[in-house]
This record gives sequence, structure tokens and C-alpha cells, in this order.
Amino acid sequence: MNLSRVYLNPAVLAAMLSLASYPVHAEMAPLGDEALANVSGQGGIYLSGDISINDVGGPIENSYFGRCDESDKKCGARFAYRLREDGGWLVLDEIKGLFAFEGLTLRVRKIDSGFEGDGELFDRDVIELGLPDTVRFTDVQFKLAASSTARPTDPGFMQTDIFAVQMQGDVIMQGNLLVFPDGNP
Amino acid sequence: MYMTITTARSHHWSRRGMVAPILLLALAARADMEQLDDLALSQVQAQSGITLEMELSMAADRLSYYDDGQGVHLEGLRVGSASDSDQGAFHRIKVDVGTDASLNLEYLVEDRRVEFADIRLAGAPGVGIGGFFFDQSLAGTLSIRQDGGVGGNGYTFDSAYTMTGGRLGYQTNGNTVFLDDVTMDVEALGVTLDLVGSTLEINSPRVTGNWRVGAMRYSSDPASYGRSTNPTTGLPLPSYGGLQGSYEMSSWTGITAGGRSGEGLRLDHEATIYTASFIYLDDDSALAFRDITGEYRIHDLRVDVDQDWSGRPAVALTLGKLEGNLNIGAIEVGSSGASFGSVNLNFLLEDQVFNGRTYRNAVYLQGGGHPDAGPQGLRLAAEWSLRLADLSYTEDGNRIIFSGLQSWGRGDVTVNVTRNEVRNGTRFYDGLRIGFDGLEAGYRINGLRVGSDDAQLQGGTELLLALGFYPAYEFELDGHVTLGAGGASGEGLTVNSDIQIRNGKAAVIAAPYNEGVGEIPQKGLWLTEMTYDGHIRDMTLDVTDGGLAIETGEAWSTMDIGNVRVGTKEDGASFGRVQLQKYELGSTTLVKPGGAGDVCVGATGSSASACGAAGGQWEERGSEGVTIAMKNILARGESNNKKNAILWENNRGVDGRGQPINNTGMGLLVDDIHTSDGGDFNGSGVDDNTYGIRTDLSVDVYQTRVIKKTNGPDSQGIVGNRGDEKIMMPGNPGGYRYVSAPGPGDVANRPLGFAVKAETRFKELSINNIDLVHPTGGHQTVVYGAKLQNFDIRANLTATPIP
Repeated sequence: MNLSRVYLNPAVLAAMLSLASYPVHAEMAPLGDEALANVSGQGGIYLSGDISINDVGGPIENSYFGRCDESDKKCGARFAYRLREDGGWLVLDEIKGLFAFEGLTLRVRKIDSGFEGDGELFDRDVIELGLPDTVRFTDVQFKLAASSTARPTDPGFMQTDIFAVQMQGDVIMQGNLLVFPDGNP
Repeated sequence: MYMTITTARSHHWSRRGMVAPILLLALAARADMEQLDDLALSQVQAQSGITLEMELSMAADRLSYYDDGQGVHLEGLRVGSASDSDQGAFHRIKVDVGTDASLNLEYLVEDRRVEFADIRLAGAPGVGIGGFFFDQSLAGTLSIRQDGGVGGNGYTFDSAYTMTGGRLGYQTNGNTVFLDDVTMDVEALGVTLDLVGSTLEINSPRVTGNWRVGAMRYSSDPASYGRSTNPTTGLPLPSYGGLQGSYEMSSWTGITAGGRSGEGLRLDHEATIYTASFIYLDDDSALAFRDITGEYRIHDLRVDVDQDWSGRPAVALTLGKLEGNLNIGAIEVGSSGASFGSVNLNFLLEDQVFNGRTYRNAVYLQGGGHPDAGPQGLRLAAEWSLRLADLSYTEDGNRIIFSGLQSWGRGDVTVNVTRNEVRNGTRFYDGLRIGFDGLEAGYRINGLRVGSDDAQLQGGTELLLALGFYPAYEFELDGHVTLGAGGASGEGLTVNSDIQIRNGKAAVIAAPYNEGVGEIPQKGLWLTEMTYDGHIRDMTLDVTDGGLAIETGEAWSTMDIGNVRVGTKEDGASFGRVQLQKYELGSTTLVKPGGAGDVCVGATGSSASACGAAGGQWEERGSEGVTIAMKNILARGESNNKKNAILWENNRGVDGRGQPINNTGMGLLVDDIHTSDGGDFNGSGVDDNTYGIRTDLSVDVYQTRVIKKTNGPDSQGIVGNRGDEKIMMPGNPGGYRYVSAPGPGDVANRPLGFAVKAETRFKELSINNIDLVHPTGGHQTVVYGAKLQNFDIRANLTATPIP
């Protein structure tokens, strides 16, 4: 195992933050007692709870959006962007779902030991997001689409759905996500 | 020390009976006063009761106090009628000598005003602190008998009085703020006065009272000085609201000669508050602090006429130590008496070294205020050192402690009463202006403890970032906050402010600064080399039946964070520079009592059975707690200063000291972020923008499930298996064990956590463009617009220590 595999350049920080479940540390061994003894900065938090997006619908009530019990309306959130000035819109549509977990931890700690000797060489402070063992997904879904307009209520609205994703059940997420600066600030 | 009076004039008319000795004492300082002749005095012994009636009118151009040769002058002193400046104030005093040789006074004072036009310090010509006036009508009794609390030649006093029609005002440059329509009942029995060694000791074993301030008013019209109404319109002057309260307390005070240097005064004071209340009234809606108890000790407070650390002449108040605790049993708002819960504060103000510098507790009072506001104003060269405080909040019987709170600072605070004008090039607003001039300050907390004082330290303030709360913050502050009278309607506050911060270091996530074995560098995620420039216009604060309501007319700010660091604030590695710009129009906030109420965590369900059936956990978080409902309306960009944007820059060039230079690296600019309602529904030609981003944040202290993530001992050495649940041990504070299959008894002992329920929703959030910014090549647009629609994001998160 080599810790340098998880070095992240700031330029990809934004992308990394959106990949919370990306298994960057899947091959890492859990910290042993010795490493824990060298953790400075106890404190931090252990979070239990849930996060949901449009679980029962969003705030817009119009011809397109509605509550989730209205079968002829979309109740998810919608995110549209375009990469050309007069181009069409790439859309993540009907985004909704609920994620429940116990044991998402957050703290700042110094890694200066462990990791089969790599920690000593590393010798830096990191933000550690400890992933919860199990995250329960309930009705998690989104749809990738291409659209002629940003708003589905704009005149001339046309949309082509490319694919849709639905997730249900328990997802195992183990290990820690370490975030730290690298490169020239 | 000595006192002088120059150009004094006084008049009194004795109508019946004789002048009582106590009055002679009070008036003895007046050089040209009429003295009672021997014949009159001889009649004192001939009567069992004496009544004195008089109209008291007195004026002095200057009353001076000197300490080690340095003087402070009260100028334009006058005592007389409050309603007619040419008349005296009516006094009637009945004097009776009791069979126990006590001297009993019954007095009545009608419509008296004590005022002075300015307070000036020798050595500070041309500037003054400002003028004060104090109006009152009094009716009361005072009984004095010999034999104080420690025997010997002391005295014992019993006093009771009622004050009505009171006003207490402060005026600078023709603008006034004052407490109006003040009434007060006070009873102090068995007060003793003794000279012990060289200390004059005053012991008050029981003082009870209640008081009420009808209104706190503002006036920018010199013609309305000392009046409750506008002289032209006859309407009441605008009001900040009213106050009322009651108390029962005991106190001990020691007064000794000798200042911090040479002459001066030393004060020591101890008090116990058995019960008290404090209520703020805004158009009859109340914010009430009830069931207040506590105690405090002031040790070695010295009063000198001296110079501050910059050699400026000042009245110096320097403190040895102040410690105490204050408990507010209930904080309630609205007519229904809904409660936020209770608050407890333990505090110790004492000299302490922060960042390698010793901070003391001292205030140096000087004249002048803001230099552009006119010659009158108050300048406080202040230094403070809050060595340690624990602030705890209890709701529905569960407690959270902001542990190890420390604060330090040094700099100037100015106080002026100002009016809406541009004066000497500076913009002023109606109201009481509190200015900051080179104030270097900071605070930090060691962490949160949930449940009890010996609970494990934990984070959790991260969940309050949406409120702009940082667990540690150091800064240099300039600017002002001006508090105007009158809210969104009727009474209340209107705030205008301009704030500049330099060299800011704010923690977003902070580890403890002391884990029990001494101070260590506080690690965290830090925003450093930060400057902030923020402006608020016409923000109203009102207490309503629903809670504390804040409506902001216009607010814009730029926060430029030179480095976002991980590690310590001095040398943590940096992610680069982040600049956040905000521009809001018509945003609102409502702070209301009551937390999340009933919550289904981990699933969706509106009842305990539906929640459980869906795999969730039903939590009844009680009626107390805090909910903050915010509506942030992000306006479309109006200029480079007034817009919502985020710039992230890195790969910057460095200067000769190796410090990054802003605007020399590559930037990513998310530009002109704004909300809208998703269309032009009112036909104005532009999209409506009334919904904004709405966030409801509820804070409770409640039990939660904590699951062990690994086999073996945890960081506290407690052994358990992966998947076991952490269960607290009643009767063993801070103690816990791991249970593989918790029964109902175990579930009742789940650990308490800091529970935050948040819901954020918006109809539409648009980003105009996302650009890459090259220092010489300029902007290159990579995203031509993004729109987020119909979002409703909810989070139920409970924070506990990492086991």
C-alpha cells in the first residue's frame, strides 16, 4: 500500500468532493492503536442521521413540477448547464433520494506514522472524513438528459432522456477519505 | 485627590421646620451656600419631627476631580426642575428621631433633573465625552442608626423608595438617546456601613426591587432635549422598545483609597442574585429572561485619572479579577411564553497570555468618539482577557456546553449618538453608533461537551456554519454598527453597519486547543490572511409573537481568504485563495423558540409507527430548542462590488518573503449567482425574486445511535465489536459500554448528541457563467450558465464525540 496513491491536487478538489463514495482508500488498512496514539486533535464529530433531496418534492408547483404524490408531475430537483454560449443544456433531472447512516466522522488529524512506514514520510495534517460502514439508500434516483431549454417550462422545451439511475438498499462504505492541499497554493 | 467647584449658584427656600443634617452633608461642598444660623439649629432639638420643604436649584460651570494632578471636569452641571429649566425641584423631607436613637427620614422629590453638558479631561482640549441628564421623582424612607455590621462606630441603614417619571439620557453633538418613563421600587433593609482598617465596607444583606423603562428613545433634534415627544408634531420620539425587570440580591462592597498608580479608588464587590428577571418589550411583544440566579465577585477594580497605553488622558478602570456564574432559567418569547430553554455562564476575567502577549482587563474612558462626528463622543480604549468561560444551553432537560471559551482583545471602541448625514466626509446614520478603531481581538472554544461537564470533548459547531459561526476567530476590526430606533413597524431596532476585517484567521473546523495536558496549537481547517468588507443597510430587528425577526434591506460583502489552510493557522498547508462575494436584497431571518419537534430519522414518516415501518427512528425532541428560519435572496449582480460570486485561485506567484501574491495565479470564477422564482410572474420584465434560498435550522440536544465501526478498543480504551451500539452508564458520568443487542433499557441510555435538523429549499438558483481566469490571458468562459431548480434538501444530523 502506498499513501501517495491518494494524493490529490487542489485542481481536482472539486471533483474529488463530489466522489464521496469513490473507493480512494479501499486498499488502506485500518489505523492500529499505535497510529491512533499519535493522532493529535481529538474532538471532531461522529454524525448519525440522514440527508435527503426532494424526498416529498420541491418548492415549485407548476405544470412540470409538483409533489411526489402527484403522478403527472416531476417531484425531483433539476440541474441544467451548458458548455456553449448558444448551445443546448445538459441536465440532471428528477434528482431525489434519502441517505441514512451512522458513523460519518469528521476531524482534522496529523498523519505521521502507520501506513507501513508511509505515514512517517507523509507527516502532514489532513481533513479526515471517516465513511460510515453502511449507508442506506432509499429511492435514490436521477436522470441524465439533454434539453433545449434550461427551464422545463420555457417555450420550445424539448428533452431527450439519456439514462436513468435508481438505487435502493444498503451500500457498504468503509475507510477514510483524506483531504489535504498539495501543489502550489 | 481633591475636588473643586467653579462658579456655583444655588437657591433653596426653607418653608417649614429645619434643614436636616443629612441635607447639610450633601450640600456642604457648595462654597457660597447659605448656612443655617445657630438659632435655627437650636430649634432642631426642640421638635420631635421636622418637615423641610424646598425648591432646589443649583448650577455650576465646572465640577473637577483631580487624581495625581490629572483632572476630569464635569461641565455645565445643573440640578433643578426637569420640566422647567428656570425652576427648582421640589423637595420635602420629614425628619424624626426614633426612641432607639435612629434618625428617620421620609422624603419626596418631584420632577428633579440632574444634568451636565459635557465631561472633559485635562490634556484633551476641544473634545468631550458628551452630556448626561437624569430625571426623577422620588418618594421614600431612610432610617439610620448607629452600630454597623461589625460593631464599633458603623451605621445601619434601612431604605425604601419609589422612583417615577425617570429619564436617563446621553447626548453628543445635539443627538440624544435616553431611557424614558423609568419607574423603580427598591427596598434595602439592614444595610451596614463600617470602616474596617482603611476600607469602607457596605454590606447589603437583602435588596429587592422592580423596575420598568417605558421606552428607550432617540432624538436628533436639540429642541426635543429631555422630552419624550417631538416638540413640533407632539408625537412620541422613536423608540428602541421598553425594558422591565425585578431582582432580589445581596451584596458586599469595599471602597479603599489608592488607585492603580498613586491616588485613586479601589473597589471590591461581591453579589449574589437570588432571583431576577429581565424583559425586553417591543410593541408589547416580550423577549423575557426569567428565573435569573447567580453570583459574581469583582476583585481589585481601580479607578484612576491616568493615561492609556498610547499616552492619551483618560479615566482608567483597571480590573484585577472578575469571576462568577449566571444562570438564566428560561428565555421566552411572544405572548404564549414559548421557551428557548435555559442558559448558564461561568466566567473568569483575569490577566492571561494569548499569542505570546499579556492581555489585561481595562477600560480607558476618553472624550471625542469618532473624529468626524463632532467634538463630543465617547472613546473607550479597551483591553480584555476572558481567561475562561463555559457557556451551556439546556433545552428539555438536556445540556450542551460550549467549553473552554476564551476571548482577548485590545483597541478602541467609540460611542456617538449620530444623525443621518455626511459629516466631515464620513457617512453617519440615525442612532447610537458603536465604532471600532483598530480593534485586535479573538476568541476560541475548546470544543463542545454534551450532557455534562465531564463528557468527552467533541466538535459540532461545523453544523452551524450556515449561521456564520466559527469555533475560533482572530481579527483586526474597523468600522461601525449604528443602532437606530424603530423596527420594521413601531418599536424595535434599525441597524446600519460597515465592517472591515484585516488579518482574519477563522476556523471552520477546530480541534481542541487543550486536551488536558496544556495548551497546544489548535489544528483545523482555517481561513487565514482573510480580509472582509461588509455593509448592511436598513436591517430591522423586532421581537414579534413568533420570535426575533430580522429583515435586511440591502447587504453586500467581500470575504477574501488568502489561504484556506489545513493544520495550524500559521503554517498549515494551503488549498489556495478563495474570494466570496455576497449581495442580498430583502433577506429575512426569524429566530424562534422550539426545536425540530418530532422527527423521523433515517426514513420518511409522519408518525412513530409509519417511521418505524419505513426503517426510521422516531425522535420526540420536545418543545424547547431553537429554530432559525432564514430567507436569503441573492440578487443579480449590479456591479463588481455588489454580486454573488466565488473565486478560487491557486498556483500564485510569491513575493520576497515567500508569501503568495493574489491575482498572479490561475482562477476559477463562479460568477453572478442569483436566485429567482423561476419566471416573470408579475409582468415587471424581470424574473421575480421573492422566494430566495430558505433554510430552517433547528437545534436540539437529543439521544442518537452511535455504532462502533471497528473491533477492539476505541480511542478511550473501551472494548467492543464492530456493529455494537454505544450505551451510556447512568450514575457514571462520561462512562459507556458497547452492547451488541440493546434492549429497551439500553436504548433509553443512548448517548446525547448535538442534534441539528436543517432544510434548505429554493425554486431556482442560477449561475450566470463559470470562467477560468488567467493572470495575463484574462477570462475564458467554460460554462455558459447553470440552473438549479426545485431543490429541497433536508438533513437530520446528530453530532457525538468520535468514540
